[in-house]
Amino acid sequence: MIERLESLRQYLLDKKHHAFVKTAAETGIANLNGRFEKKGVPDQMRSAIVFKEMMRCQEPVILPGEKIVFTRTVKDVPFIFTDSEWEKVKTSHYIHERGTVSNISPDYETTIRLGLGARKKEVEARLAKGDVDGQGRLFLESVLVCIDALQDLIGRYETKAREEGEDDTADVLAKIRTDGATSFREALQLLRALHFALWAADNYHNTLGRFDQYMYPYFRHDIDNGILSEDEAFDLLEEFFLTCNKDSDFYPGMQQGDNGQSIVLGGRDAEGNYLFNELSRMCLKASYELRLIDPKINIRVDSKTPDEVFEEGSRLTKIGLGFPQYSNDDVVIPGLIRKGYSEEDARDYVVAACWEFIIPKVAMDIVNIDGLSLAACVKKALPQLKDSPDYESFYEAVENEIFKEADRICSRHKDLYMIPSPMMSLLMDGTIAKARDISLGCRYNNFGIHGTGLATAADSLAALKAFFFEGKRFTAERLMDALEHDFKNDPELKDMLRKEAPKMGQDNDMADAIGTALLDSFDKALEGRVNERGGIYRAGTGTAMYYIWHAKDLGATPDGRTAEENIPANYSPSLFMKQQGPVSVIKSFSKPHLQRVINGGPLTLEFDQTVFRNEESIRKLGMLVKTFITLGGHQLQLNTVSREELLDAKAHPEKHRQLIVRVWGWSGYFVELDECYQDHVISRIEFNV
Amino acid sequence: MTSGIIFSIEEFAIHDGPGIRTTVFLKGCPLRCTWCHNPEGQSFEPEEMVKRGERSVCGEEYSPEALSAKLLRNEGIFRMNGGGVTFTGGEPLSQSGFLVSVLELLDGRIHTAIETSGFARKEVFREVLGHLDLVMMDLKMIDKDRHRKWTGVSNALILRNFETLASSGKPFIIRIPLIPGVNDDEANLEATAALLEGIPSLQRVELLPYHKTAGAKYPMVFREYDPGFDTEASPRLDISPFERRNIKTMIL
Repeated sequence: MIERLESLRQYLLDKKHHAFVKTAAETGIANLNGRFEKKGVPDQMRSAIVFKEMMRCQEPVILPGEKIVFTRTVKDVPFIFTDSEWEKVKTSHYIHERGTVSNISPDYETTIRLGLGARKKEVEARLAKGDVDGQGRLFLESVLVCIDALQDLIGRYETKAREEGEDDTADVLAKIRTDGATSFREALQLLRALHFALWAADNYHNTLGRFDQYMYPYFRHDIDNGILSEDEAFDLLEEFFLTCNKDSDFYPGMQQGDNGQSIVLGGRDAEGNYLFNELSRMCLKASYELRLIDPKINIRVDSKTPDEVFEEGSRLTKIGLGFPQYSNDDVVIPGLIRKGYSEEDARDYVVAACWEFIIPKVAMDIVNIDGLSLAACVKKALPQLKDSPDYESFYEAVENEIFKEADRICSRHKDLYMIPSPMMSLLMDGTIAKARDISLGCRYNNFGIHGTGLATAADSLAALKAFFFEGKRFTAERLMDALEHDFKNDPELKDMLRKEAPKMGQDNDMADAIGTALLDSFDKALEGRVNERGGIYRAGTGTAMYYIWHAKDLGATPDGRTAEENIPANYSPSLFMKQQGPVSVIKSFSKPHLQRVINGGPLTLEFDQTVFRNEESIRKLGMLVKTFITLGGHQLQLNTVSREELLDAKAHPEKHRQLIVRVWGWSGYFVELDECYQDHVISRIEFNV
Repeated sequence: MTSGIIFSIEEFAIHDGPGIRTTVFLKGCPLRCTWCHNPEGQSFEPEEMVKRGERSVCGEEYSPEALSAKLLRNEGIFRMNGGGVTFTGGEPLSQSGFLVSVLELLDGRIHTAIETSGFARKEVFREVLGHLDLVMMDLKMIDKDRHRKWTGVSNALILRNFETLASSGKPFIIRIPLIPGVNDDEANLEATAALLEGIPSLQRVELLPYHKTAGAKYPMVFREYDPGFDTEASPRLDISPFERRNIKTMIL
């Protein structure tokens, strides 16, 4: 890293730029909602006005050494409704999370290429056409407000840059205020401005998509024309990565760090070319040097991906950022097609904030609308155990519970309301042509359901199959009694279930077949269901924070897990499984029909940091990843942690401010997590190879 | 066929040979190296062990068929990654009847390697060698008195088996645990390097610097760790005797 960026990185880590930050209240825009209510301003225009005010109140600041500018100086985004208005909205509508558009993959590419001026003309031309209804007119006008406001701020940044004698920066800003980018630097600056704008528009989990693909033409242009050397291009790339860490303290998320700034590298096109270019390689290198939690790196791979990619990825894994995360094109693309995505769109897939597979530009999927606890379904079926003549009939009861739970979940999402997002709409396909806000939908409007507690459910059923139905080692009454007493009255049964019974993750065909059956049932339970937006439901293997919520009410389970113990996060083995090793884990977890659970959710493997001492060990980690992919695994995430360091960090947070861990679908600073998440990270499996 | 006692099977063993490998730990060792970090591998009998507060029996009996069937489950993965199986211990040559039976069942299907002290009868060494693709052998100390003092046995058999290995043409790696004040001195490393010079089938030398965590497992088997040297000291890491002789050297 060059000295300029080293200093900038430190400046940001020391949070010195927060000195420029004011609250919305301090800038006088906190009470816009009151005025909106009084005047009866429609929600569509409210969003635009709030955005305009957010832009107006930003103070242009150029941090020491910056070439790519835009720093957030207004901390919080005013809400468009008053409390009483919002309460009313909530009584008649289903509200997803915070209510604003989030967790989709915007089309930065088009605006970077055409420029804000051309986009503005496009909106104006659409308005001028006679066929726009009132709602459409309001929408298009709201988009124009956003474009003007953003252009205005770019203009003020330009003036600031001139004042400070940063003429190069000023020239770049002058260009991108209206025109499309030509150079790599212009493209990065415009991308930064657009990304900044989305956050300031109160959209969140704003992903960065296939960065190495859409930025590549600009990179190539500059290298081929001698405008930038490779080193200079690399410096700009690193600086762009730094910008993702500038304002992230103000980004909403379940926990600090859960901000969804994911980028996706690689992938295979329709002609069979593997799209991993010099810029992809540079992204891995930049992330390696910066050692920061953003952007979060994903790599699209398949069984024919060159070994080099797995090795470069493993080099990044080694430093303990909790990424890259890998996804398998061989599984994901056919899986998406199976769920009704066009082949062309499926080939363009990216990951959302955490791991959910989404299509950039054209999908308004809500991939994390709910979670279904597979472990709870097993639990609910247990009263039927005593009357079940064989395992198959008991499994039918479990499947029946999964169907009932799917009914219940799917009936919850009625009358969805999302806050209009004109700024995001500008960056999504078809919104201008249709004159409709993105919050109302796009080409794909599918809902994703997380499947939690898979290993807990599979292990519970495996224990019942082996020891109740086949071994007849205990009665249904004894089990029910023990579960009710959290095994306190029957430690012997607990030990048998916990230590002796087969578990998913041990390459045990019986247990793995049960895991497979559960995921098949989950997919079947969602099959054919249509949501109110005309989209379908997708089953997934992720858990997000549901692994904490769903563990709470579960009680003891027939795998020998006690009530207070966690369930695993995402697509992972039980936390107390007797380990055979990582090879058995990847074998077990690549057996299910993963094309059917295309909402995504990674298998997570955790290694002790000391494992990766030399080049050979990095190469071998790459082999392990490739093996999982070749066996048909869909998604993999690896983490290197040291248990000792985590324990010390819990006790002495001040000494470990920079310690980064993977939490569920994202990496964050360990010391900033709530204790329950810290404890889960500590208790997760770890291989001491 | 003879059964064997195994005290651990570890998947994805990174430092025990090429590719993705599984390492099988055979229980029992005739040596008593004072720095031994696997004390549970010394006795030939299953024994009680306490790990994280839980009691268990360390050591499980396997028939050659059961062990080879277990290992062959991952045949495809080993092949895909140029990997295989490594037998270690304890001293795997001490259960040579069992080992040979397992190797015969794996022959031609899985790449096989061994990690050995080289302490075995000449005939045993030769026979096992014939079934292996790679040998990783320790040369702990060249001086026979010091060898006896620190490992409990003479190195006469070891050095003779080394000659067999060196002249067999079989690819091999020499491993040297570097113990502070025990064998990290110039004289020992010079003598070792001299012995290794100019052997074409020697892949490389691997130096394994001593770390004080070696004593971690002793309380688990109710024993005290008293290796007889300064456990806080770091060993000398001088690879020059090997470099001067153009011997590829790696520190693990």
